[in-house]
Amino acid sequence: MPGWALPVARNMAGGLEATMLLSVVTAIAAMLAGVVLGSLATVRSPLVTVPIRAYVELWRGLPIIVTLFFIFFMLPAVGIRLEAFYAALIGLTLWTSANCAEIVRGAVRSIPRGQHLAAAALGLTWVGTMRHVILPQAVLRMLPPLVSLLANLVQSTALAAIIGVLELTQSAQRQIARLTILGDSHALEILGAVMLVYFLLCLPLTRVSARLERGLAR
Amino acid sequence: MAGPGQVHLLLYTFDPAYVLRTLPELWAGLRLTLAISAIGIAGSLVVGLAGGALCAARVPIVGSTVGLYVELFRNTPLIVQLFFLYFGLPELHVTLSAFTAGWLGLVLWGGAYNVENFRAGFGAVNRGYQEAARALGMGALATFLSVVLPIGLRISIPSLTNTCISVLKNSSYLIAISLPELTTTAINIVSLSFRVFEMFGAIAIVYLALVWALSGMMAVVERRLALPEGA
Repeated sequence: MPGWALPVARNMAGGLEATMLLSVVTAIAAMLAGVVLGSLATVRSPLVTVPIRAYVELWRGLPIIVTLFFIFFMLPAVGIRLEAFYAALIGLTLWTSANCAEIVRGAVRSIPRGQHLAAAALGLTWVGTMRHVILPQAVLRMLPPLVSLLANLVQSTALAAIIGVLELTQSAQRQIARLTILGDSHALEILGAVMLVYFLLCLPLTRVSARLERGLAR
Repeated sequence: MAGPGQVHLLLYTFDPAYVLRTLPELWAGLRLTLAISAIGIAGSLVVGLAGGALCAARVPIVGSTVGLYVELFRNTPLIVQLFFLYFGLPELHVTLSAFTAGWLGLVLWGGAYNVENFRAGFGAVNRGYQEAARALGMGALATFLSVVLPIGLRISIPSLTNTCISVLKNSSYLIAISLPELTTTAINIVSLSFRVFEMFGAIAIVYLALVWALSGMMAVVERRLALPEGA
């Protein structure tokens, strides 16, 4: 390994850690919000479904980068000081939870109506019906798109670099900037390495998602 | 300083008139967004169609090369691909302008997804039709052009729509290479004026309108091309 590469690799390892942390925390928060919103989106009351629809359409429709910038600039404007990492976490969670809600809604609606009726006949409440009857069956259908969403999320965390979060992409950029001052940026090698890391993180996820999908189709 | 239509929001004063004053700048940004999205969408459809057709042709090495391209671009963030084109390639003495790197990045990224969309569409065409075409004496190319393509294209439309919308939205990532499209323009205005809610309100409406218009257009295309039941 050439002399310049070691400190770069060490820095990027720290960045990778932040990328993973951002991905995992966002995934958990978005999953919780998505399951609740997606399940509620299947009830009959427009009082519940219309706001959820608006939430989903808004955060899915906006470019993630616009959402991230909005959170990043909006919070200080209303007097809330927050690190860029948390702004990214909030913004990514909005986008991921909206997509997650859509996946859950689709899966829940694919469960035959008879299942709801049977659960109701057994005296289960709506929450009980969802928890014990509908969601366990819907989980199989949710899995392929959710795994694919996770791969998408890992890639989207790179956008946090734009608001200055020191994750993998931003750490690479800073190293390139530092090496540029020293004479040779090594941008090609460093960015190639960044792509390789994301590739190794995401390829297993997209592969698993495709395999699950094929398994379900059969 | 109070003006007409101003609304107080915690510590923030909402001033809708501010959007009007910045309209010329935003319009210039929007034009660039529209131009680069149009190039990105058209280019990615061409790449996708070519790649999907090559995969369908089952030529040994070509198919796996296309597969590698698809996997590489689908499993790395677009923003890093843009950095690679804009900051990485100059090391190989290939220097691209932000505009060129921008549309090229969108075409390559969207193209990878569209290859997959077309490939899935072509793969879903009833094999019986292809066998029937071959039995009628049609060659491989003729079978593809008059049987697989017309049916597979229709099957692909919903997923192609999603990718086209993503290309449009992801044109906002070009802020990473400082291309002055809509998002970059708005952020520049925000960093000078801190008119956060006005600017984001304005570009949010524009992006949502564009996304809905594009998906509406694609829905019309889909309906127009819809095959009779059972095809």
